[in-house]
Amino acid sequence: MLSNKELYRISKRVYREGILHGQLQSAGSDQARFLEKIDKDKTQRSPDIILKIMSAIYIAGLVTIPIFALITIHSTLSSGIDPSWVTFVGSLSVSGFLVMQPAILLIFSFMFTWGIMSGGPYKWIHTLPLGRKDIERIGFFTFLRSINVQLISMSLVLPTGIVVSIVVVLGSEISVLSLILLIVSSLLLSIINLVFNLSLLVIISRKMAIIMEDQEVNSRKTNIIRVVSMILYMIIAMGVMYLIQIAIAKIPELYAMQSWTADTTNVVNIILSIIPFPFAGGYLLTIIAMDFTNVSGVLIGGSLLGLILFIFLTYFIYKKALSTLRNISSTELKKYSMEKKEVFVEDITIKTSGPTLAFLKRDFAIITREMSSIMIMIMPFMIPLYMLFIPIDAQVTIGPAGLTIVMIIMLFYVSMVSVMLVMGLTNIESGGSTITASLPISVRDQVKSKVPHFVVTIPLALIVAMLMRIGTSQFTQLISFALAFLPVIPIVCLASLFFKAFLFGKMKHKIVLEEIKLERKVVKHILVFVFTFGLMAAFIFVSAYGFLYLGIAEVVSAILLYITYNIMFPK
Amino acid sequence: MITEKSAMVSVTNLTKSFGTVVAVNDISFEVKPGEIFGLLGPNGAGKTTTVKQILGLLEQEQGEIKVFGLDPGKDDVEIKRNIGYVSEDPLIYKSMTPRMLFNFIASIRGMDESETTKKLQYYFESLEAVEYYDKLVATLSRGNKQKMQVIAALIHEPLLLIMDEPLTGLDAKSAKVVKEILELHKERGGSVIFSTHILEVAEEMCDRIAIMDKGKIIAMGTVEELSKMANKVGADLEDIFLKLTNQDESVNHIVKNLRNMINGNKRS
Ligand SMILES: Nc1ncnc2c1ncn2[C@@H]1O[C@H](COP(=O)(O)OP(=O)(O)OP(=O)(O)O)[C@@H](O)[C@H]1O
Ligand SMILES: [Mg+2]
Repeated sequence: MLSNKELYRISKRVYREGILHGQLQSAGSDQARFLEKIDKDKTQRSPDIILKIMSAIYIAGLVTIPIFALITIHSTLSSGIDPSWVTFVGSLSVSGFLVMQPAILLIFSFMFTWGIMSGGPYKWIHTLPLGRKDIERIGFFTFLRSINVQLISMSLVLPTGIVVSIVVVLGSEISVLSLILLIVSSLLLSIINLVFNLSLLVIISRKMAIIMEDQEVNSRKTNIIRVVSMILYMIIAMGVMYLIQIAIAKIPELYAMQSWTADTTNVVNIILSIIPFPFAGGYLLTIIAMDFTNVSGVLIGGSLLGLILFIFLTYFIYKKALSTLRNISSTELKKYSMEKKEVFVEDITIKTSGPTLAFLKRDFAIITREMSSIMIMIMPFMIPLYMLFIPIDAQVTIGPAGLTIVMIIMLFYVSMVSVMLVMGLTNIESGGSTITASLPISVRDQVKSKVPHFVVTIPLALIVAMLMRIGTSQFTQLISFALAFLPVIPIVCLASLFFKAFLFGKMKHKIVLEEIKLERKVVKHILVFVFTFGLMAAFIFVSAYGFLYLGIAEVVSAILLYITYNIMFPK
Repeated sequence: MITEKSAMVSVTNLTKSFGTVVAVNDISFEVKPGEIFGLLGPNGAGKTTTVKQILGLLEQEQGEIKVFGLDPGKDDVEIKRNIGYVSEDPLIYKSMTPRMLFNFIASIRGMDESETTKKLQYYFESLEAVEYYDKLVATLSRGNKQKMQVIAALIHEPLLLIMDEPLTGLDAKSAKVVKEILELHKERGGSVIFSTHILEVAEEMCDRIAIMDKGKIIAMGTVEELSKMANKVGADLEDIFLKLTNQDESVNHIVKNLRNMINGNKRS
């Protein structure tokens, strides 16, 4: 048996290995190049530090929500608002914090814990002369390492935040007993919550690791699960950021807009307070902060019962997380069924298709399997989210001109997404399959196979974005704007692709899609960005003279593009 | 048209450098139809670089390469139609299964479905890889990945096979099968460029061998011709190779030091 200190030191190696594993997985078919990069650029080796600090700060920042809610409780109460409603809103805010904490932890840490959870990094640990128990503890320490900074922030922030702000603000308003109770219970809640969150993180990262690295036959079902979970992940990430902004801005308003009768609110309060996570804790802190005034005994009992349930729940999840951790450090990712499926020679068949379709199929296989590609393919579907979230206030305050600004910002966002899509698609080409290198590939076919992505994905996302505003007064204006700009998107994407190929893939006799001219790569990438944005800006500029001119510009540039295509990629 | 006399590949005064490293230095050779041509040399000799230029995967600087009379820099697509290539590292899309991979290859090469299916079944069966047809490439062992590469190079029955260390990772039986396939290919008039640093393999398989060292071809010919050059008639290729690359002295030296070191650290 080694000492904990020694094991913690060893866990550093495993942790690094896990990070690299995650990075390699995201690099996908680009791994060879990534390894070369990491060899030269040492900062690439610890990409986790910044994210760790960011999430620690985010978690710390979150605490402003419950504290804000708690310290305004008394002034709200004295302004004559129904106490049951005050309890409701206050508890909701604290509970919101309790939910967001693990969400943020997960969003920021997932990228790294996932590599560790796949179990890959433990493989070589097993070749060392270490006991089973030691390896288990290394597994535990490795996990702790992946969130050590966030951990400090999580365990300290709520109690200190409460102590400082509440003592300062509420000190004179509530009794000493309540004050002490508040500090003690927030400390207690922090500890339970911490264990709960960590366990949840362990279990969820493990689930994600299994989904992302499922090595079994490439079934359509696993592909769909993979894509859907990535989309959910990004939506949750965006949603949480948005909610935080809303929450802080809207808490005072919420207090003022009671929509149920006092009786209903009371019933809702009692039901919610029994729900262990996240409400029980939220209610408990709120009730104490209210100094127990106007609080029914039933509610106090309910939230205490909820808290006890929460402790049990945490214990249960903690046990489950422990066994998950044990599994990772000791066995393979997934237990395969032992019965072997018979495979016959007759199973070996071939189905051919045209080259363009073949490229499309290959791209799909790779995109749905590799992290970096999935991310890039999902980017376009963030466009509708942008429409949903960002311009809510902008249009109200700026009016019709504001609407145009919103659209222009969105078009630039579209061009950014286009560049990323182009990058992702060309990455697959240069993703170094030596078998493709030996195939008689016509670059023309390759380019053709990218067109559906440009014609379908981004335009579709743009239309969906507009549909989010269906029924509003600006809808006609928005949808006509989008329709007028629809042809621009594939034009801009293709031009961006051609330009990138021109910069990176120029050979003596032809131009290819792979990145082969890598010298002054940063400058070239910037040029591609500037080119794409510039092109989009030009179209926007033309559209200012009216949609007729835009249409002419579209036709002219489509013809130019077709000529370029024939020159760059001849038959 | 490819006739008996015209060369499959002819390389004249080829030079290629990466920055300051001259990887290939003014080499010339020809590969005839029905011939297995060996490129033999120590690590870093420039074998892979030479082979990649023949395929048009690296840009040509100086010298001339003709494959089937065509220029790989210009007509690489036409050339690749008639070439099968096994690269030294089996980099295959990890996120695909062999089924997807061979569907892709057959589509790009515009091959006939039923005919290809038959050939594929034959190759998978003789290389004992049938059970991996629907497994992800990422999960295959090194040797099984290599088999996929070899099958991909053979499936369209090309005129010329370019094989960079094709036997790495293969078990004895599969290696034997691949060697037999290459012999058959040769008997039917095809050519092979076979790059390796394993002397026994080169000796056994190749009709002619070019010994490369530090980017140069230092000797070329049949095994007998090479042994004459090294003044070691009847010697095996290992001795010839070490003599020609001037490594025989230094190898003796290394072996002696190694023995001293190991003897000095007797296991207790
Ligand atoms: N892309 C590259 N960039 C820089 N140098 C390279 C590159 N490729 C090869 N070289 C250098 O060119 C020389 C020849 O390499 P090459 O790969 O052709 O050797 P090889 O004979 O195939 O060796 P091995 O037996 O190890 O496969 C080496 O010195 C190598 O470092
Ligand atoms: Mg080599």
